[in-house]
Amino acid sequence: MRPKVVILDVNRRRHHVVLAPNVTLLQALRDLGYTDVKSGCEKGDCGACAVLMDGKAVNSCLVLAWQADGSEIITNAGLGTMDDPHPLQEAFADNGAVQCGYCSPGMILSAKALLDRTPHPSREEIIRGISGNLCRCTGYIQIVEAIQSLTKGAK
Amino acid sequence: MRELDYVGKGVTRVDARDKVVGKTKYAGDIRLSNMCFGSILFSRYPRARVVKIDSSEAEMIKGVRAVITHKDIKGNNLYGYNIHHHPVLVPEGGEARFLGDSIAFVVAETSQIADEAIKTIRVIYEPLKPICSPQEAMADGAPLIHQDFEGNICAKREFIYGDVEKGFQACDVIVEQTYRTQLQEHAFLETEAGVAFLDDKGTVHIYSALQSPYIVVEDISYALGIPKNKIHIRGTPVGGAFGGKSDTTMQVHLATMAYVSQCPVSLVFSREESFLFHPKRHPYEIKMKVGARRTGKILAMEGEAIADAGPYSGRTPEVLRLTVMSLPGPYRIPNAKISGTAYYTNNMESGAMRGFGAPQAAIARECVFDKLAGEINMDPLELRRHNFLKERDPMMNPYLQKGPISLQALSSKISAMMRKPTIPSHRNRRIGRGFCFDMPVFDVSAFPELGKAGVGIAVEMFSDGSVCVFAGGVELGQGVTTVLAQMAAEELGVPIALVAVELSDTRTCPRAGRTSASRLTYVLGNALLLATDKIRSTILKRAEGQLGISHKDLFLRGGKISQKGNPQKWIEIAEVATMCSDEGLNLREEAWYKHPEDRAVYGHTFIGTAAEVEVDVTNGHVRILKLVNVHDTGKVINPKMAKGQLFGGAVQALGYALIEDMVVEDGYLKTPSFAEYPIPTSMDLPKEMVAESIETSHETGPYGAKGIGEHACNTTTPAILNAIFDATGVEPTHLPVLPEHIMAAYEK
Repeated sequence: MRPKVVILDVNRRRHHVVLAPNVTLLQALRDLGYTDVKSGCEKGDCGACAVLMDGKAVNSCLVLAWQADGSEIITNAGLGTMDDPHPLQEAFADNGAVQCGYCSPGMILSAKALLDRTPHPSREEIIRGISGNLCRCTGYIQIVEAIQSLTKGAK
Repeated sequence: MRELDYVGKGVTRVDARDKVVGKTKYAGDIRLSNMCFGSILFSRYPRARVVKIDSSEAEMIKGVRAVITHKDIKGNNLYGYNIHHHPVLVPEGGEARFLGDSIAFVVAETSQIADEAIKTIRVIYEPLKPICSPQEAMADGAPLIHQDFEGNICAKREFIYGDVEKGFQACDVIVEQTYRTQLQEHAFLETEAGVAFLDDKGTVHIYSALQSPYIVVEDISYALGIPKNKIHIRGTPVGGAFGGKSDTTMQVHLATMAYVSQCPVSLVFSREESFLFHPKRHPYEIKMKVGARRTGKILAMEGEAIADAGPYSGRTPEVLRLTVMSLPGPYRIPNAKISGTAYYTNNMESGAMRGFGAPQAAIARECVFDKLAGEINMDPLELRRHNFLKERDPMMNPYLQKGPISLQALSSKISAMMRKPTIPSHRNRRIGRGFCFDMPVFDVSAFPELGKAGVGIAVEMFSDGSVCVFAGGVELGQGVTTVLAQMAAEELGVPIALVAVELSDTRTCPRAGRTSASRLTYVLGNALLLATDKIRSTILKRAEGQLGISHKDLFLRGGKISQKGNPQKWIEIAEVATMCSDEGLNLREEAWYKHPEDRAVYGHTFIGTAAEVEVDVTNGHVRILKLVNVHDTGKVINPKMAKGQLFGGAVQALGYALIEDMVVEDGYLKTPSFAEYPIPTSMDLPKEMVAESIETSHETGPYGAKGIGEHACNTTTPAILNAIFDATGVEPTHLPVLPEHIMAAYEK
């Protein structure tokens, strides 16, 4: 198959890009400059490349860019900025949920997807919600606490 | 005691916001104009002679800028920490010694073209029988992996204290066991990455994820024959390292690519390449023998450790030294004989990983202690308390300093947290508890070898009162940026928002050595205090002239210089900084910290861990109910980040105990990605996890602080293993302990 023009709506910005059929969404996004989408394994094992595609968290390494044609993509950078971070981003920063930071963009999006479908998850639901995202630094505890700080019953 | 604004407070990481909004640029995120991409052809065999390399087809491919073999390298073509015997590119006629050895490089306009071109390079190999274990390496007539290393011995260490024969003769009980640990992978989320380019003056610039920019300069200079002043290394924010980026990783490869192709080059490893390439935690076999009286008094210990070094020396001699000297642990053992030997093999490379040989020692020691406790029918915690090192005891380990000992305090705190007994949740389940204590070391920069003694830093205050710290350490996620910002803000009395920290740049930061051995808070912290002292003195003396108050009666805080006891009398720091700037008073100070003791010495901390597990005896499944880590790390500079180090280290150690296993068969890696080599996920978390500190001020530490980074890695694994032993009676002698091992032992 020949390359074709794909429309990618990323963080409310529309891109028309010519892409071969074997280009992953991960690669397409990074080539467009969305380097907050991290590559960790390119096999769907680590979750570092998670993005929201039409509201659902997906590993962008397992989605072909052609499949995302016309979909609305939100990357972590689309949630907030330095001056106006998303509450989840702020909670991660303030609760010690970030060390090296490489898993953070994907982890935050998995947490976002979880809170969008279950606004007040239990600890077990949080643990399950982020179980597809590997973190080698934090031991996950402070990540769970960061997400818990935004739920009902939080201190 | 003065009141502190930043130090000791749970200040939010100064780099946290950049990281959570995805702005932080890691090495693989850097884009240069006209940037090309590198690719590496790795050896097809774990051991083979390279007969011929034919790269003619690759050279013809459109978009290929350079195809590089050993013939293109002008220098020695060798690198490696301390011993330079790792070829950058294996030459024709030379030997590939493991699967991570490189044969050829391609630089091309896109990474796809580079990867395609690499595949067209034809190599004729003469495969040789690989050496796949220390036992094969030490066998009579085994071929030598390096001609100048007799018996394939990479390193040998011995440590004798007292008279071990006599000691064992006086014992009522002697227990023995052999422990085998596996190869552990760091599994940092960010794979090896970097960019390199040459400037118009012929200097090569490398921006890359690393742990020591200075080591990278050494290696590139030696391998490629470039003077050190033509090499500029800048460490980027690292996406996890844990020792795996301690030595030069692919920076020498990258420099070669940039030199030969004359193009700016990006090189980013795939997960599979990363797993293959960097040195991992040494697999060990440790034979232990411990003897005691019926009262529980330990009289003698003998340990014999054998390590698999892999194909190159790297950090192995140092890791082995730490294993050997760590084996007695924080206990008074009057007679000990410990020996260790590391052998070259054609397996994966072994080297630095968080804990640096001490975790394996702790496993052997603490597990054999529980076996001993069983033999003499003594509570394992009581056995430990009975043998804890006391202040009057001599230090067995020649590399340790004497100092206050907090082991009883740690164990009391742990006991209090483990008071409540747990009822099994099902009749097929058994509860067990395990303990471990250790005295993990941190480097205080006192080893006068390999450029390890002394650490520099530079601090500048600008004319507006803002501050920049130039420190050669690397931000790996451990939080050094924040620790230095906290200390600089505290010392210079400015808001932390006005402190910038520039790290890991060989052109702007004084030499600071490597970011490892839990050393940066201590060494850079001490250097920073020396530099800020000088700046503060200049500022206060200038303010004295302005305010007409002796500088001895002035202090810096909250952006102001104020009179002690009379806070109405003050002047802005920025105003005085402007005066200093206008009048040519120096506000950029470099300082050099050297440890006061004139001998090779480590600092040490104390840590205790307790684990409670529930084991299902019908399927061998282990669930960790509670994991408690209590650490005496001296003054805690940032409680939130200190907890993060303890939690993170503990979960890595949990993976080491129960999950992770890098499998190498006949020199081939059987676990090339996270699918085959799982690491702990959130689902593996203990039901309850606690991290606490007690703070015994360290005499020479900045604010009394010690190191912290590695230490929970040492003690968590043995505590979990002992808890399984307590629950099931199954002695854990092989890592990781999988359900099938428990079931197999149970069924016996």
